[in-house]
Amino acid sequence: MWKAVNSGSAAAEEALKQYLPPCQMKCPINEDIQRTNVLISMLPLDPDEALQGIIEVGDYLYQRNPLFPVCGYVCGLCELECNYQEKGGAIRRRLLKRFISDHYIDQIRSKEELNVEKTKENVAVVGGGPAGLLCAYDLSRRGYRVTIFEASDRLGGALWLIPHYRLPEDVLSSTVNNLVRICEADVKLNTRIGDGKLTLDKLKKDGFKAVFIAKGTPLPRILTYGREKVEGQELSGVMYGQTFLYEVSHGNIHSGYFRGKKVVVIGGGNVAFDVARTACRLGAETTVICLESSDKSSRDGIPADEDEIKGAWEEGIRIIYSRGVRKIVGQGGKFQKIECPLCSSVFDDNGFNPQFDPTDSISVEGDVLMITVGQGPDRSFLQQEGLLSDKGGLAVDPLTLQSRNKDWVFIGGDMRKIGFMVEAMHEGLVASESIERYLRGLDMKAGRKRQFEAQDIPYRRVYKHEPEVVWIPPEKRLHFQLFERGFSLKEAIEEARRCARCGPCVSCKACLAVEIQDSLPTVEVNEDVCSGCGICASICYYGAAESRYKEGSMISSTDVFRCKACGMCVVACPSQARKMTGDTMEQKIKAVYAGLTA
Amino acid sequence: MQPYEPKIVCFSCCFGWGYLTGRDVLSVKIKHWVPVICSGKLDSTHIMKAFREGADGVLVLGCPDGDCHFQDGNYQTRKKVHLLNRVLTSYGIDPRRLRMELGTDPEGDTIPKLIQNMARELRQLGPVKINGQAVEAS
Repeated sequence: MWKAVNSGSAAAEEALKQYLPPCQMKCPINEDIQRTNVLISMLPLDPDEALQGIIEVGDYLYQRNPLFPVCGYVCGLCELECNYQEKGGAIRRRLLKRFISDHYIDQIRSKEELNVEKTKENVAVVGGGPAGLLCAYDLSRRGYRVTIFEASDRLGGALWLIPHYRLPEDVLSSTVNNLVRICEADVKLNTRIGDGKLTLDKLKKDGFKAVFIAKGTPLPRILTYGREKVEGQELSGVMYGQTFLYEVSHGNIHSGYFRGKKVVVIGGGNVAFDVARTACRLGAETTVICLESSDKSSRDGIPADEDEIKGAWEEGIRIIYSRGVRKIVGQGGKFQKIECPLCSSVFDDNGFNPQFDPTDSISVEGDVLMITVGQGPDRSFLQQEGLLSDKGGLAVDPLTLQSRNKDWVFIGGDMRKIGFMVEAMHEGLVASESIERYLRGLDMKAGRKRQFEAQDIPYRRVYKHEPEVVWIPPEKRLHFQLFERGFSLKEAIEEARRCARCGPCVSCKACLAVEIQDSLPTVEVNEDVCSGCGICASICYYGAAESRYKEGSMISSTDVFRCKACGMCVVACPSQARKMTGDTMEQKIKAVYAGLTA
Repeated sequence: MQPYEPKIVCFSCCFGWGYLTGRDVLSVKIKHWVPVICSGKLDSTHIMKAFREGADGVLVLGCPDGDCHFQDGNYQTRKKVHLLNRVLTSYGIDPRRLRMELGTDPEGDTIPKLIQNMARELRQLGPVKINGQAVEAS
């Protein structure tokens, strides 16, 4: 079994221009997807023998992304850009990561602390969600003493709103609790910054030299029609989806709570579908109503993921598309029904601006109404702390996340811009870098916008079809256990092998890690010999070799950023104008041939 | 006289063959073995030179179709082997002396077996002769 060596070296390197595989480009934290896919593809088939390798891959992922076990269940952003997508289905990277996660989660509990000497300043992190946790981890690694202030009674933030049938509770709690143990950050739970005397100034007085605020978006958006608030949101039986998910995750709502009840969910995002599918699992007959149309490809298409819609549909949830809510009707103070006019368009060229046709209206009856139309940050806190601009927006530099009003304050995560979990995590890392620069007196902006370009899909003759994802059948999955089956070792190896490895070598180096290659060779062109015929360009799968005019004649060249040194062009060149440098194959062959006559 | 034992040069792709076993361990079991990062990196001259240098056979081990780390290196080499078989034939050399197998064997245990199988056949053919003439190693 191989043992990965030089493990720290593969990450996207500082360079003026660098190509990355498109998956790694798409990932906000540029996870080493290709490298770890290659490593997974080279695991032994024997589960006991493979475990060491799986742990090594896990350790490697953990260095950059200590929340990866959670990502393996809920993210998969990278799959949206996979070059393989049109050729047989995106590589199921999320399930590959979940595979590592499933075997690594036990490891996490005994993983050693970072053991970094905390000799630098005290930094406060406000909010224990994905942004705050990543910031705390990265700052701790850099030697800062970090204290996380979390308003609720547990770390994880909005991740707790993800239903357990998608993200098991123990995976989440193990991951977040061990993260703070491993990075040795102090955690203060049930501590809401902004409450009473606990202000930012107080933090400053207590010796914190910088603060990262990532309090998320705890406040549900109220339901509006046109520009007016829809009346009736205070009726009994009306609640906000986020509040509902929060209560469910805290175990405050028992099973069968909605048995025999009709639940109506308003909203077309993933959170609305989490709410609907959760209500369904609590026994409700559930209906989702959204403004958007069922055509996901159109501008007005429903934003929820296809898998969510499919899952909901299979579970018997009714979805009503292209309807708004004009009126919530109650009877005796209790919710009774909503009136839903047709929504003829959701967006115009200036953004969200729904148009309705009041002459075409239906009414939908129910016992409970869940409003899940978005959420926003705690603006009163931001105002009170003077963190808003004159125009009322957040006064923060988008590159450095530094507050424009208070230089020692950094703001990020959903609070700044609502997004995916990994986008918040990225902001945590950005803030960590900024805080380091701020406290060390370095230039806040220099060299931060690194240029990456996505590598095109290489030429390939044979593509393999994606594996089927196995879900428990709907009639058997109306509970809060996971409904998606993970990969077995054999399936993981096969799927990882399907990856086309389109990215260049410098951002991967898996072959060096497992020592099947000694160094990364490069291809050189002898311009005196090259006739510019272009055979090399036609054989190159990566678009690295090309022929072009140079001083009046055709000559071939190699783009070192794209070249993978596979040697096809060297072999194909009819005039031997191309050769590999830094490659030992020729010597090895020579030695073996010498042995033939011995 | 010692019984004739054919010398077989084996090229194998590192991404498909024997990557789980240490190279030092395997090289004891496999004589005249050259692990290469991709079978597609082999030039026709590398293969022909093996015969010129005294090999009785050449075995190339590549990845299964569609599994090449470098997209289609295995396919390029398969084409080459097909054509080289004809070249060998034109010199009166039996094409069975050059063979390519596509597959994966992470442990590499089957490599010595594949070589033995090939050797069994080649033993009957005897040393390489070009148009009936014995060759001298250059």
